[in-house]
Amino acid sequence: MSAASSAAVIERPTPSAAAQDLPASALIRCEAVGHVYRSTLGDETQALASVSLAVADGEFLCLLGPSGCGKTTLLNMIAGFVTPTSGRIVVGGRSVEGPSPDRGLVFQDYSLFPWLTVAGNVAFGPRMAGQSAANRKTLTAELLELVGLGAAADRYPSELSGGMQQRVAIARALATDPAVLLMDEPFAALDAMTRGALQRQLLEIHERKRKTIVFVTHNIAEAIALGTRIVVLTPHPGRIAEDIRVDLPRPRRRTSNGFNTLYERLAAAIGVDMAD
Amino acid sequence: MARVSFDQPAVLGALGAGGFLLAWEALSRSGLVSPIMLPAPSVVLQSGVALVQSGELVDHVLASLWRAALGFLAGASLGIALGVALARSPRLHGLLNPLVQTFRAIPSLAFVPLAIFWFGIGETSKIFLIAWGVFFPVWVNTFIGVRDVSPILARAGASLGATGWRMLAFVVLPGALPFIIAGLKISLSIAMVLLVAAELAGAVYGVGYLIQLSQQVFRVDQMFVGLATLGLMGFAADLAFDRAVRWLFPWICARAGDARRDAALRRERRRVGAWTQESFTP
Repeated sequence: MSAASSAAVIERPTPSAAAQDLPASALIRCEAVGHVYRSTLGDETQALASVSLAVADGEFLCLLGPSGCGKTTLLNMIAGFVTPTSGRIVVGGRSVEGPSPDRGLVFQDYSLFPWLTVAGNVAFGPRMAGQSAANRKTLTAELLELVGLGAAADRYPSELSGGMQQRVAIARALATDPAVLLMDEPFAALDAMTRGALQRQLLEIHERKRKTIVFVTHNIAEAIALGTRIVVLTPHPGRIAEDIRVDLPRPRRRTSNGFNTLYERLAAAIGVDMAD
Repeated sequence: MARVSFDQPAVLGALGAGGFLLAWEALSRSGLVSPIMLPAPSVVLQSGVALVQSGELVDHVLASLWRAALGFLAGASLGIALGVALARSPRLHGLLNPLVQTFRAIPSLAFVPLAIFWFGIGETSKIFLIAWGVFFPVWVNTFIGVRDVSPILARAGASLGATGWRMLAFVVLPGALPFIIAGLKISLSIAMVLLVAAELAGAVYGVGYLIQLSQQVFRVDQMFVGLATLGLMGFAADLAFDRAVRWLFPWICARAGDARRDAALRRERRRVGAWTQESFTP
């Protein structure tokens, strides 16, 4: 490993399964969480072994791994959709019991309410929280401006391209002012050019809103482009293989040495053939 | 150029209809069939105008429409309510589903004699029959729509703070709406069938009654007026329904047009390259 890359990539202590080692100040604490799926025939599949993970406030954490490594299961557990079969998850000092507007979600695609306009979708969370119409209007306009869709407020989701829909989904998730933004491969269905544009926009939002982001992806380059920290999960059963803080300067150019060194290291951790 | 316009669907349709009416008129005047049994279209038109001028036809149409509307409303409300309830409560579903499925298997028309025996030939029997027929398609579609509501949308709703009745009212029901509307549309034609069947079995007013009465007094021309009126009523109801849906729920139509829009978008993208990705779709 060259001197340049070791300066850019600072390794954390070896990933540990011990929950008591997690810093108490962390915003998200996954305390030795595991998940076992039971099929209707009674077969058990361990999707996630005992995983311990602490996410600090303001961190942009990328969960990277191949399909079946449990990264989406872990995200769904933080979201409150899946109950861990062992261990527990604490967000903001409170044990996660179910979904909450305090944890905003952005799904892969088709998650906007087709019966609401763009503005209606963004205002949905505040509406459920009982905010006044005037408040909702101001907030919606502000968030649509943030994602660059001020002009599309009165459109229906089906009238938008995939990239625009995901920008609305991000604005909608931000509308409840959550402490954490959970994103499940939100750009996977987009073409490369749109994906790049949305990645840049997401970084800008992260910079401005200072939200903690947990971002699931199977795309190594995407994880390097976005994350302040990358956690690699490997399957059978899902466990943490690498936990790397990324200090590469932004914008992170694909052609830079640091980028490529990290890419190779992550690819090796996942087990991807580099001839790809 | 003339050949192209000749092949237009509208032109072809008008030619077909005109040819049919002309052939009918000629057949009826030729003496090959009795003009009493098959009155010419021109004669039917005259009878229709006379019935409209006397105000008779309007009374029949209004009576029929009123029954159909009441029965449709009653059946549709019950269908939606029970469809939602059964989809949301597995216990209620287990309790009632076999029963409702059994009733559904009996053709609604078979209930006409029973309904008249129970409720007489007044309004009640007709409204009951229409409501009965309308109920089942609405119930089935509502049930499926609510049960199969997109899990992603439900999760999105839950993560944005929708719980309990709010989840039902703001996520589940709108999500099931395309199914519910499809059920309502099917029910519209079923309502017409049951309306006429009930009126044929006995009434004092109504388009079905007009047809029945005309048969008894050998006015085949008036029977044709009744048939044409029913056709127009069905057509108008369908059109009004589609218009109402488009006006109330513009997003449903936007979604129905998705396939066509996507195809157009793909063609457009191939033409100008990927840059149109982020532009509005027409």
